[in-house]
Amino acid sequence: MEIPYVVTPRKDTGLFNSKIAIWLFLASEVMLFGGFFSAYVFLRLGADYPWPERTLPVLPGLINTFVLIGSSVTVVFAWASLKLREWRKFQFFMGITVGCAMIFMVLKGIEYNVKLHHQAMKLKDYSVIEGHLGVESEDGKPVLDHKGSTIEENLIFVEASKLTFDTVRFYKPWVEELLAQAEHHHSKVALAADVTAITKVGQPAETIAKAGESLSVELLNRIRAAHLAARSHNAANRTEALRAEWVTAKAANPGKKGWQIASGVNIDMAALAPTLLGEISTVSFSVDPPAKLDFQPRDIKAADGQSRLRDDTVVDGKLLASPMVFHHIDAIDFQHLVMKAKEKGIDPEVAIENSWLMKNSTFVRDAWAWHQGEIKKLSAELLQAHGVGKDGKPRYVPTHKELYRIGWKDLAKMAEDHGRAKLSGVDAAKEEFFGPDYEARGDETFPGFSVPREQIGFASKFTPAWNTYYAIYFTMTGLHGLHVIGGALVLAYYLFFGKKMYLSNPEWLANRVEIGGLFWHFVDLVWIFVFPILYLM
Amino acid sequence: MIGLQYGITALCFLAFGFYLMMVMRWSIAYPHQPLPEWMGWVFTDGWKARWLQDGKVTGETYNMFGAMHGTIMVFLGIVPLGFGAFGNYVTPLQIGAPDMAFPRLNMASYWIYLLGGLIMCASFFFESGAAKSGWTNYSPLAGFADGQVVNQWLAGQTQWLIGLVCLITSSLLGSVNFITTIINLRVRGMTWMRMPFFVWAMLVTGFLLLLAFPPLEAAGIMQLMDRVVHSSFFMPSGLFTKSEGLADLSGGGSPLLFQHLFWFLGHPEVYVLLLPAFACVSEIIPANSRKPLWGYKSMVYSVLLLGFLSFVVWAHHMYMTGMGAAVSTFFQTTTVLISVPSVVIITAMLISLWGGSIRFTTPMMWACAFIPMFGIGGLTGLPLAFNLADLHLHDTYYVIGHFHYVVAPGILFGFFAGIHHWYPKITGRYMGKTLNHLHFWPSLICMNLIFFPMLVQGMAGFHRRWYNGGDAYLSKAADSVNIFGNTVVQHIDMNIIMSMGAWTMALFQIPFIINLFTAWKFGKKAEGDNPWHATTLEWATPTPPGHGNFLKEPVTYRGPYEYSRPDCDSDFLPQWTEPKHLDFSEKPTGGH
Repeated sequence: MEIPYVVTPRKDTGLFNSKIAIWLFLASEVMLFGGFFSAYVFLRLGADYPWPERTLPVLPGLINTFVLIGSSVTVVFAWASLKLREWRKFQFFMGITVGCAMIFMVLKGIEYNVKLHHQAMKLKDYSVIEGHLGVESEDGKPVLDHKGSTIEENLIFVEASKLTFDTVRFYKPWVEELLAQAEHHHSKVALAADVTAITKVGQPAETIAKAGESLSVELLNRIRAAHLAARSHNAANRTEALRAEWVTAKAANPGKKGWQIASGVNIDMAALAPTLLGEISTVSFSVDPPAKLDFQPRDIKAADGQSRLRDDTVVDGKLLASPMVFHHIDAIDFQHLVMKAKEKGIDPEVAIENSWLMKNSTFVRDAWAWHQGEIKKLSAELLQAHGVGKDGKPRYVPTHKELYRIGWKDLAKMAEDHGRAKLSGVDAAKEEFFGPDYEARGDETFPGFSVPREQIGFASKFTPAWNTYYAIYFTMTGLHGLHVIGGALVLAYYLFFGKKMYLSNPEWLANRVEIGGLFWHFVDLVWIFVFPILYLM
Repeated sequence: MIGLQYGITALCFLAFGFYLMMVMRWSIAYPHQPLPEWMGWVFTDGWKARWLQDGKVTGETYNMFGAMHGTIMVFLGIVPLGFGAFGNYVTPLQIGAPDMAFPRLNMASYWIYLLGGLIMCASFFFESGAAKSGWTNYSPLAGFADGQVVNQWLAGQTQWLIGLVCLITSSLLGSVNFITTIINLRVRGMTWMRMPFFVWAMLVTGFLLLLAFPPLEAAGIMQLMDRVVHSSFFMPSGLFTKSEGLADLSGGGSPLLFQHLFWFLGHPEVYVLLLPAFACVSEIIPANSRKPLWGYKSMVYSVLLLGFLSFVVWAHHMYMTGMGAAVSTFFQTTTVLISVPSVVIITAMLISLWGGSIRFTTPMMWACAFIPMFGIGGLTGLPLAFNLADLHLHDTYYVIGHFHYVVAPGILFGFFAGIHHWYPKITGRYMGKTLNHLHFWPSLICMNLIFFPMLVQGMAGFHRRWYNGGDAYLSKAADSVNIFGNTVVQHIDMNIIMSMGAWTMALFQIPFIINLFTAWKFGKKAEGDNPWHATTLEWATPTPPGHGNFLKEPVTYRGPYEYSRPDCDSDFLPQWTEPKHLDFSEKPTGGH
């Protein structure tokens, strides 16, 4: 027997197999995205920080919406063309559909790229600044790191004099990285002392590596092998000893339960010692002369004198001043600070006046003063346009975001108010896609700024790590993007490799395109929901 | 064929999961004593040096084994055995289909399942070890676990998530395939109400997998994001774990969100485990009591209702999270409601025995044991359904006892019944009776020896995660741990009985393994293609069913359980037998 209803529909259900399957699959997809939508609602309602409302540029998203809707129409035309057995028309419409998918992904790529290079930082007092991280400079020249590129990361610097690796847990790429950094600073990393250990029972200690041997992964591997062999040997011996102790203890305490005698059962370590091998759990290297090494904040538990990396490598040395150097700042945001102040019952204005930024940056002070003027104008406009309500208060007042956030468009407007030239139409349109144009607008509009390490609360690029809004934004759009890519690949397969099937069994190909088209409509539908909740609301 | 692959793989995973439990039971019964050689020989010296301390099971290792025991048993053992193996093998046969609707998808589903399982288990050999945050993988614990591993892709906790995504993909493909097959490939005459109950149960299971798993996949993806790109989906503000080596999180997320998404799967998952066992037993009971399945229609409606209700009970796992009295009350109500259809089904099975001429064949022994064992499991769940009782019992051994009664002597017994029942169809031979006695009776006794004391211990306040069996709580036992007038010291020696029971049970699985393999070649030959004199379509195929299953397309003339009809010469009338007199009600309808 052959499997029936592959091409022709079954009479009582009216469906061919794969059509049932795609609807079931889409039901499952609804539940998948439903999970994310519920998560969005849950996270947004439960957010204990100001949720970024209408924070993304709408234009690229809007274009993408129409691109997808258009492609949903053309995929139907493509299917209809197949039903009418018009191959060239099918090719034409399917070509447009796949083209639309590519446009969508390119726009999405630009959007992602801008975010992944844009830095945000929350200070300890919950005020936030955004911008681009700058270049460290010495004598007017940018300082390059060991890879020869300018330093545009948030880094912690330690003047390391000694590195101590955990022989089991050391992370190979980090060893290589540290070695490269030290070489860049013309320092030599070498074994601080002879590594010796008993490797055979009853024999004197043997030298595994000599002092002065320089750091390499091979050397660490060699020491690790000796350590692991000793560890296994010792563990087996200790287990044997403990077993023997238990046998003795049970014989000595007949009728007693294990838990009644457990505290008295211990290994006699002194007696066992001669049968054990030497374990080498850590190994130290000196850095000579001490070199200025840099670390990602996430990877290091920094402390003056002795810092520890995530793989348990201990870095001895002085913790250097590691400010975050903003080359340009393009937003000042007091929303979170005000929220925290209100929770504590502090007047927002007072909290802002007392914030570290206001006290330490004339630019921030100027911007805030200018912004107060703007708010007054806005309030007056709202009053004029909408009047007062029954309670005698203005019907509309500026929102929390308008009151306490000075975004890049505000800063640009401030500069224009202060007499800087406006950007041309084309450049201004480009900013909608690529973010603020520092080159064209200049340092006066978006000045540089440096924040000392001890003032930093949390810093991140605009990645999923920055807050739960960006986390759900990247996850939902990313997953949607994967669906676009997957769908487009399938449709492109029909477009480029469908001819053979078209000639042998065109109805089957039409069925497949119908299935693909149904999926494509679903992808479009998801975007119709994703776009408003992430871009407009 | 794919059904058999599923079955064998799932049995291997079950054995592995069982082994993990045996090691855990050592630590519970004999804390501070080195693991004995007969259990420890599996490990290499290096592995022991890393994970055992002087030969003793450490808390970390216990957590790892506990998490993986649960994960393996649920996701890699029971689901593939019930849905993957039985469903795959029997469903197409029972509806008269030549194969599943999408054979290649079916194969892909198996391989992705195997891949997911291997990915999860491979992490035992990583420096980080396998996942150790419980099979529920709650954040923020699971978000931070293995945080010291620099390359998060090589952490056991991350591998667990990747494996899980594979398993979800696999079951998605499987469920789409099943539902399509059942809707579209039924033969002529196989109307909805002529489908065996087995097929109904599989249909509902398919829908549960299809709709309940994706939210967990969403949760898994979000947790993966938390681990790999350091987002804070499930990380609340104010968590500071610099001492653990991880820091720098924005916070602002919700640990409760993970629990909601997890249990949205987790509860339907219980029925994904259970329904295939119901399915097997409800085929075996009529065939061996020579009576129609009592209340077939009410069972069908019950299983549909069960499927629906299982989507609205999930938060009864979360009474202790402080989600609010109104929410708890809602879920308490739905939870009590869902016991109604379960009881209807179990009762129908029980009544099907009444007045039958019961044949105690090997499958029937297991099926008969299933009913009371599952009954205990189900009834001990009722106190947990109520908020107030749950305050005392939450996270104690009572909970462990309850759901193990459902899963181990309940569901697994149902599956053993199924294996014995369809074995003659697969091989043409019966499984041996003596070996089965040697397997069945000790298993039945040991199961109760293991799980009944758990209920008692749980009521005495034994916490489910004590890795040393409550040993650390002995010193203050007299005053501090005192629930229902019980103390730890009164019940701690039960640990030894329970562990002995577990190890003995392992020993008595050996007759089953011998039986399973030797009967293939040396078992008693089955008489014809329908040795049990059953009525459903799988017995109309040649033995074993070849490619395309049926020699010629069968036609269904009547309902699935026509036993002991007064108008018939024999005591059974198969679905495919042509009626002698054209009875209008037996005219084939539907199809073509």
